[in-house]
Amino acid sequence: MVTKSKLKMALAAEKGIDFSKLKQQKKSKEAAKRKASKEQNGEDESDMDQAGEEVDEEKMNLDAIYESDTSESSIELEKKLPRKPKTTAQAPAADVAADEEEEEDEDDDEEEIPVSDLEDLEEEEKEDIVPHTRLTINNTSALLAALERIAIPTDKSAPFASHQSIVSATETSESIPDVSDDLQRELAFYSQCLEAVRLGRSRLISEGVPFSRPKDYFAEMVKEDAHMEKIKAKLVEEASNKKAAAEARKLRDLKKFGKQVQVSKLQERQKAKRETLDKIKTLKRKRQEHNSDVGTKEADIFDVSVDNEIAKHSQRSGSTRQQSGAHAPNAKRQKKNEKYGFGGKKRHAKSGDAASSGDLSRFNVKRMKSKASRPGKSRRKAAALK
Amino acid sequence: MASVYKSLSKSSNEKPESSSNGVKKNKQRVLILSSRGVTYRHRHLLNDIASLLPHSRKDAKFDSKSRLGELNELAELYNCNNVLFFEARKGKDLYVWLSKVPNGPTVKFHLQNLHTMEELHFTGNCLKGSRPILSFDAAFETQPHFRVIKELFLHTFGVPQGARKSKPFVDHVMGFTIADGKIWIRNYQISEVEQSMVKGDGEDYVSEQAATGRSKNTDINLVEIGPRFVLTPLVIQEGSFGGPIIYENREFVSPNQVRADIRRAKAARHSARTEQTVGRLSKKSDLGLRSNGNRRAKDELDKSALFA
Repeated sequence: MVTKSKLKMALAAEKGIDFSKLKQQKKSKEAAKRKASKEQNGEDESDMDQAGEEVDEEKMNLDAIYESDTSESSIELEKKLPRKPKTTAQAPAADVAADEEEEEDEDDDEEEIPVSDLEDLEEEEKEDIVPHTRLTINNTSALLAALERIAIPTDKSAPFASHQSIVSATETSESIPDVSDDLQRELAFYSQCLEAVRLGRSRLISEGVPFSRPKDYFAEMVKEDAHMEKIKAKLVEEASNKKAAAEARKLRDLKKFGKQVQVSKLQERQKAKRETLDKIKTLKRKRQEHNSDVGTKEADIFDVSVDNEIAKHSQRSGSTRQQSGAHAPNAKRQKKNEKYGFGGKKRHAKSGDAASSGDLSRFNVKRMKSKASRPGKSRRKAAALK
Repeated sequence: MASVYKSLSKSSNEKPESSSNGVKKNKQRVLILSSRGVTYRHRHLLNDIASLLPHSRKDAKFDSKSRLGELNELAELYNCNNVLFFEARKGKDLYVWLSKVPNGPTVKFHLQNLHTMEELHFTGNCLKGSRPILSFDAAFETQPHFRVIKELFLHTFGVPQGARKSKPFVDHVMGFTIADGKIWIRNYQISEVEQSMVKGDGEDYVSEQAATGRSKNTDINLVEIGPRFVLTPLVIQEGSFGGPIIYENREFVSPNQVRADIRRAKAARHSARTEQTVGRLSKKSDLGLRSNGNRRAKDELDKSALFA
């Protein structure tokens, strides 16, 4: 009834494994286990499950043929099984739980083994010689034995301060829908740790173990001061970068509107200028009309009203400038603004025109005349000799 | 007289404690060392871990990668019952071995996503040698191999009570979480902020609380300290650096395999392209469009033949 691939059969033959004997062993084990489970849990395992287990164990034994390592541990498995009742006698409550867990684990195994089973089936169907494939090794009983050997008590019997470990109530992976989502994942880790801290803190405090460090307790830290300084510098730099970026964005936004504002301002200025010029013209015209009068006042002679008008205008423009908030740039800046942008034609700005050649404001006769005169030859010689 | 009283009281105090504790007292010492060929980041991580564990003993790089069994003797030499061994391969892959020394078990992990304390720039900090609270995911209790791994973490990363250089306060927590079949490890500082301070009620309230003793309503925040890393369990051996394999992670794909696959995919792309080029050239030469290719057979009615 043993249906295995030829290779496996050959291997088994070479190792001198008697399938019927194995089967018997298994059955006896099975019976022992069944008995044990009946004692503990009652009869809730169905026959179907048992049949499944039989098949699985067969597989496991074949695994043992494959891997000499596992064969050793499967021997352990046999050793461990009869030992179990002894341990139950020692600590019944704890061990029942352990046994239950073990059974669950075996269920897991049953879930896992069919994968390799499927592969085996495929092999049989193909009847190909497939090179050695790794089988999942998960020797539950050996793992548990190892655990038992090294375990330090972390349950209620031991004081919490002796181990300080807390197992969370829920699986954290449940709250991580996508592992590559950094924020979600870190949040889940954080909340797991926070829960543990809350619990641990209360337990430590109730056990009278000092928890929080008093303010005046200074000791060496994991990160030295230099390291913390570096971190602080990094933080400051980040903050300043952020600030600078915000500033730059603000400026960019302002620049968008700045052009519009400038154009409107220029128009306004032009308008004001035109208005004053008009006023001056009208005043002059009036003056000329009244010029025939003999008894002209001094003010009229010196065009005081015109000056007044101009002053008024300049005052007004000054006041508007103050209202706009921005301080007036100095004369040089104004000239430069005119010249290098900020509105206006840029071409021919430097070339002279009628107005500039007519402008003699900067002309100075003295400077033109006071050219350093070249002294005579003898005097020059004398100077050189000195 | 006083000394006699002291000794008496001490003995009377200790006896019931040890008996109530049951079997073993949590007494651990960890030997931390790496193989040759670790990169600077691996070394920094090792230093970070060593600085977090006051019960550890750091040793010089271990020379051999094949004879790991010698680590047992080394650990015994230093009175260590745990070994944390960094095995670097090819100057890039890091494997971490965690072992209980005299007789196992040993777990081998593959370490990924490594970020040392220095490069993380986290603001958290903790006392050097304070005992951490170890926070384990519930998934650690589900499967036996995870239970073994948890126990080993507990021994290695948990600072035992009364360890020589340990500090008496608890100010950090280490988190071990299983996600995606890997174990993610984080380290946070516990910062307690009194809620009254947060609200900014007033000084008299605070002083009142201080007078009554420990204030009940403290807010607990966590600030990450670092380092961060992810471990993928590969193999559990029954002995210490030896013995039968009792668990093997079959889903693990070795980084060599990954790299080879990437390289192969690239090579396939390249070879396809060169094949195409060769095909094009041969086609051209068949059509007589190449100077050094085989000429087209001259036709009798070819223009050059007719008007020569």
